[in-house]
Amino acid sequence: MLTQLLLAQIVNGIVVGSMYALFASGLTLIWGTMKMLNFAHGEFFMLAGYLVYFCYAVLDINPALSTVIAVVAVFVLGVVVERTVIHHLLSRPVWQFTTIIATLGTSIILQNLALHVWGPEFQNVPYFVEGMLNVFGIRIAYQRLLILGVSCASIVVLWFFLKHTRLGLALRATAQDSDAAQLYGVNILSIYTFTFGLSAALAALAAAMLAPITAVNPYMGLSPLLKGFVVVILGGLGSFGGAIVGGVLLGVVESLGVLFSSTEWSDVIAFTFLVLVIWVRPWGLFGVEERS
Amino acid sequence: MALRNGGWRRHGGVIAVLGLLCFVPLFVHNPYLLHLFILSMLYAMLAGSWNLINGYAGIFTFGHQAFFGLGAYASALLAMDAGLSPWITLWFGGCVAALAGLAIGLPVLRIRSVAHVAIVTLAFAVIVQAVVSNLPDFTRGTLGLAGIPAFAAFVLPWIGIVSFGAGDQVAYYYVALVFLALSMALTIWLVSGRTGLALKAIRDAEEAADSLGVDPTRYKLIAFVASSFVAGIAGACYAHYLHILTPDSAIGVSIMITILVMTLVGGIGTTIGPLVGSFVVTFGLEGLRGLGDYRLMVYGLLLILFVTFAPRGLAQLRSARR
Repeated sequence: MLTQLLLAQIVNGIVVGSMYALFASGLTLIWGTMKMLNFAHGEFFMLAGYLVYFCYAVLDINPALSTVIAVVAVFVLGVVVERTVIHHLLSRPVWQFTTIIATLGTSIILQNLALHVWGPEFQNVPYFVEGMLNVFGIRIAYQRLLILGVSCASIVVLWFFLKHTRLGLALRATAQDSDAAQLYGVNILSIYTFTFGLSAALAALAAAMLAPITAVNPYMGLSPLLKGFVVVILGGLGSFGGAIVGGVLLGVVESLGVLFSSTEWSDVIAFTFLVLVIWVRPWGLFGVEERS
Repeated sequence: MALRNGGWRRHGGVIAVLGLLCFVPLFVHNPYLLHLFILSMLYAMLAGSWNLINGYAGIFTFGHQAFFGLGAYASALLAMDAGLSPWITLWFGGCVAALAGLAIGLPVLRIRSVAHVAIVTLAFAVIVQAVVSNLPDFTRGTLGLAGIPAFAAFVLPWIGIVSFGAGDQVAYYYVALVFLALSMALTIWLVSGRTGLALKAIRDAEEAADSLGVDPTRYKLIAFVASSFVAGIAGACYAHYLHILTPDSAIGVSIMITILVMTLVGGIGTTIGPLVGSFVVTFGLEGLRGLGDYRLMVYGLLLILFVTFAPRGLAQLRSARR
């Protein structure tokens, strides 16, 4: 019985962790290419949650199409935010600080906009697929399996995109050395805009998948944002693989932690662990030490 | 005290503002306006202390609300549970915040990356808020503390008894002003003296400063501890003025956002910036009261607009004229 409970929690942890991984890979992608933190990442997540709620739960559009609508819409929003708020800061000194402020401002505006338009209530989104799978006495909702499948597929697609397409190559080149990339004819400003949109789309995909499990409300972006930060720091900022391993790891540790302590303390433990890791290994568990 | 970088004259604006503030209660009797002045002064202390680390030492932190909240809670709990006078517990609150500043400053100062510093300081504040919220036996949890004692009355020569009852806002006003003036004096002393020179050198070219024998860690740590101490004192004053504290109102992210808006509007990296910024933002938002809950959206908009079009805040206007 206990092993079953443990196994069930581990599976749940992997499922939720795979979503953390998607969310965090968006953050790490932006850091890798633009060398900035995006404090509005959680709001992209939240807006996608609402879009799925309206498309699927209210308008009764097919869940796959609802997800596509949410992802595309948030991609466009990400592009707009990058063009209007962030673009002109990147060429100035102390942009690492000013972009944090600007994205924080964006986050405040979007969150309060959502609060005013849709109110503080939690909106429930029905499962995309009903039913449970029964393996070795462990019951797993098909919805959770769907989440796992979608996140694995999107990670593979993302990896293929980064490694084997010209745009992905340009993106990696910009991340490695933006000056050199520019010399070789990469339009790094467009790459920045595209990266920001792509990152927002990843947050949107995670939100669309998680919405049926967590419900939708204006503040739903804060918790994944903080956890996303933990994941990218643990995995090493800018490391795509680190974000994925870190995300799954955090998901598993959290769901096992629930068995041993109350949920209120889980955040405290996660963040204390983060501070300790930074003290000992500032470049993260999987990152490479950067000497500047 | 020898002050470099132009000495006290360079901070004439600060002294003028503080001088003007001395006379406000002679003309302003409306309790609500006085309340706004008191809040502005406490926020000016808080924003000014954040500016010391961020504007002068060039370390961008996003968890300053932790020091404010620790100072407030430490002083309030000590006054309530041990029955000590708030005049004593206030300093204790400052010291608790300073110790926390030392504890978080040590790991943070090892890191150069802006992103890591931002996340670690933010994580620290989240930890502090979660711990305070999750210890209901000790801090009354998310319900918060109520009935925090007021400052004890005392007798001043020529003036008579100074008491801190419900209607004695003028007394609170001058307490806030005295602490604001002390914190500004400390800040000016730090930034104009040897420490300030060292901090500026480190901010602008750390390797060069290091090679000339300026120990970056030591000076950054001085700034960090002084800054968290002042934030803790501001928090303690806030607690004994409002008599109510909740984890959300004293350690919440909204405090950090307020600090950011005030400092950026006034001008980061100047002594007068946070001082003017906190008055402009506090009174400006009162003017926008009709907006109700849209206030926060105005904050967000201000952050974006100032960081894009006037990254050095209102203080920029003054230097641009020169």
